[in-house]
Amino acid sequence: MTPWADIVGAEHVGPGAPVDGQVPAWVVRPGSVAEVQECVRAAARARASLVVQGLGAHLSIGAPPARLDVVLGLDRLARVIDHQAGDMTVTAEAGCTLAALAKTLAQSGQWLPLDPPRADATTIGGLIAANLSGPLRASQGRVRDLLLGVRVVGADGALVTGGGRVVKNVAGYDLPKLHVGALGTLGVIVDATFKVRPRPACEEAVVIAARSVEAAAETALGVMASEVAPFWLEVGGPGALPEGPGDGAAAVVGLAGIAEEVAHARARTLELARARGLRAITVADGAALRARLADFALEPAAAVLRASMLPTEVGEFIARASRSGAAPRCLAHAASGVVLMAVPEARAVAGLVAALRPGLEARGGSLVVERATPEVKAQVDVWGDPGEGVALMRGIKAAFDPGGLFAPGRFVAGI
Amino acid sequence: MVRPALLADLRLIVGADGVIDRPEALLVYECDGYTLERAAPEVVVLPRTPAQVAAVLRLLAAQRIPFVPRGAGTGLSGGTLPVEAPVMVGTSRLTAIEAIDIANRRIVAQAGVVNQWISNAVRAHGLCYAPDPSSQPACTIGGNVAENSGGPHTLKYGVTTNHVLGVELVLASGEVVTLGGAVEDRPGYDLVGLVVGAEGTFGIVTRATLRLVRAPEAYRTLLAVFESVDAASEAVSGIIAAGIVPAALEMMDRLILQALEQAYHIGLPTDAGAVLLIELDGPAVALDPQAERVAAVCRQNRVREVRVARDEAERAALWKCRKRAFGAVGRLAPNYCTQDGVVPRTRVPDILRHIAAAAERHRLRIANVFHAGDGNIHPILLFDERDRDEVRRVLAAGREILEACVALGGSLTGEHGIGVEKMAQMPLLFGPEDLAAMVRLRAVFDPEGRSNPHKIFPDAKVCVETRAPRRQAAM
Repeated sequence: MTPWADIVGAEHVGPGAPVDGQVPAWVVRPGSVAEVQECVRAAARARASLVVQGLGAHLSIGAPPARLDVVLGLDRLARVIDHQAGDMTVTAEAGCTLAALAKTLAQSGQWLPLDPPRADATTIGGLIAANLSGPLRASQGRVRDLLLGVRVVGADGALVTGGGRVVKNVAGYDLPKLHVGALGTLGVIVDATFKVRPRPACEEAVVIAARSVEAAAETALGVMASEVAPFWLEVGGPGALPEGPGDGAAAVVGLAGIAEEVAHARARTLELARARGLRAITVADGAALRARLADFALEPAAAVLRASMLPTEVGEFIARASRSGAAPRCLAHAASGVVLMAVPEARAVAGLVAALRPGLEARGGSLVVERATPEVKAQVDVWGDPGEGVALMRGIKAAFDPGGLFAPGRFVAGI
Repeated sequence: MVRPALLADLRLIVGADGVIDRPEALLVYECDGYTLERAAPEVVVLPRTPAQVAAVLRLLAAQRIPFVPRGAGTGLSGGTLPVEAPVMVGTSRLTAIEAIDIANRRIVAQAGVVNQWISNAVRAHGLCYAPDPSSQPACTIGGNVAENSGGPHTLKYGVTTNHVLGVELVLASGEVVTLGGAVEDRPGYDLVGLVVGAEGTFGIVTRATLRLVRAPEAYRTLLAVFESVDAASEAVSGIIAAGIVPAALEMMDRLILQALEQAYHIGLPTDAGAVLLIELDGPAVALDPQAERVAAVCRQNRVREVRVARDEAERAALWKCRKRAFGAVGRLAPNYCTQDGVVPRTRVPDILRHIAAAAERHRLRIANVFHAGDGNIHPILLFDERDRDEVRRVLAAGREILEACVALGGSLTGEHGIGVEKMAQMPLLFGPEDLAAMVRLRAVFDPEGRSNPHKIFPDAKVCVETRAPRRQAAM
């Protein structure tokens, strides 16, 4: 405990909690960027491996670490550093939660339009490292589209700045992209700058009930192809949606903007449902429904899988997955081709991965086990094949973390 | 010096008409849109297929010969200037659009496909490719990917990196890797995001999978005329503060208005201090209320007049002016140099004051036409290259403007890239550790540093010893 207590103070060093079955010796909670740098240097000297966490809400993502000595908890770095409403940018420390950030931004009618599960416990650093997203990605993009700059403590303890604080910037390489979805394997993100947007005045939703998930997905494609520009667009398989007309499959269309455009889009969407002979209802509080859908992955499940494919493949994929013995509940970010699967029984995961992954990967898609017990994770490759770039990925890891300090074994291909 | 045997081998790969080595034919390739420095390559190779690009790079790898990739040569930072790279590999003949997937809104285009062709190919389906640099009738997708190009409509739709889902990259070793693809969220590091904007230093991109967006249902295009640049700047801030994100929000100052009016005669107010070209797009029902709010903000900021384009022809005329503004500048002076800096958007009035002061200090004329909504400035410095002192003053003023951008919290470049033009200024923006991280990353993709060498990073050796005799600045 000594080196850590000397750096962060004894009150900020605690016993470790398990990460995918691995128990670290300590959880160390630095209170400043300088302390993060000291911790990383101390870990490097001791050849100790680090896993970074914010509040730990998404620690289930990733393969079990090959080694784990210390968890670096960044919850004390929780400030919103600078919100420039006129510039539509915000800079916050890595441990700042999305909920806290949202509160600051809301004072100017703005928001960071990223809506992963558990906004209250999701930190900025975790959002970036795990590349989290939710229904809003359909129209607002992903982390990579909104992240402008990061500061990262590298394996040698140096603080590296990537990107900047302006909305357009092509000076040098796009280092922030390096850390998006890298699961903390290349350094410790200590703060980040995002572009933010004005929050739309109105947000509604139209829930269209369908007889089958294929019909729901086809309806979603119809919405995409129409002049309705959906703010978000989800497709749920049987049992996936907590409400709506009927308990079968459904397409849920999020609509936002000024009142006039929402009214127009609502009318067009209802017309589209009518033309298909489908029942539809309007949900006035679209944001609340969206938040519930975003938390889908949290609903009771032994494991959560995330599949990626082309939007046109979603319906057939969910139908196929639903017919399998594993009986997952499925919800898709339909416009992005992302299907979340909540699997009721852990022992079904390996079979489901074996049945679905080859077909997805053969068409350029992927299947990732996002949450499962350590026993299940030991049986499967949680990430699957990262593609032809794998040698470059290994090269990047070797260049930025030659000693294997950061979360060894947690990422794709054993990185 | 390139040996004759290499020329013969290159001809075997791409055919005799794909290898250019006559000095007079090489002159075309001695610079891109950045004309202050020039150097012709020893040979230009023009492959016709991605496989030929790979074969060429394998050949060069075997002999450790550095090379420069080049698309249409419309870049503005000297990214295609050969510096200790005898071979230029042009991608302009890779012109196939290989696949179009309307339902999923994807298109696969080879590197030499011209930006505008993409939108043309899918217009009938109500789709378009969003990034629209002013050079879009000429610039290629390969160049756009290398530079992470922007354009007026990026305020709402984002820049190139937001629309590239996958690339095929030929590494300097000649190895071909497919990164990303039509499906989002492939696990692993975001290599596509790193390749976009790497200015050709990671290898040569031969194909890209691009995201298409729905073409807007309708537009409202407004021209707001202000007495002063300050009033126009304040209107920009006011529009943003009102929670409106226009598709485009462009500013043009008096000097550019005069040049445009001389060139196109469409009734631009040549006595105005500045005009804003504001475009709203989206569902028709939403546009009139939004346009009215924009007009109200302009009125609060002492607008002289707000004109609304009445039809597509009027809209097209306004955009033609904006996109050809650089061409019109040719009427004002024999030469011009465009700068590309970024400031936080609320600091646009400050940077414009800096620009005016620099113009006065250095006895120069500087015109401004730029992406005000993004804070991405494009001061156009006018000069006559025969006047060596004026050229020196242009370079000094350009440097000072960029320094002011950085001091205001901005960046050296918003969409043109660092190239050779701004290498020396990189330390203004990034510390040694930051630059070291970038150099480490480059070495992963191109350990020998043969793909577009001596670009982006301050390179003392080249600056002092090699560059001066090799590159002939047009001064």
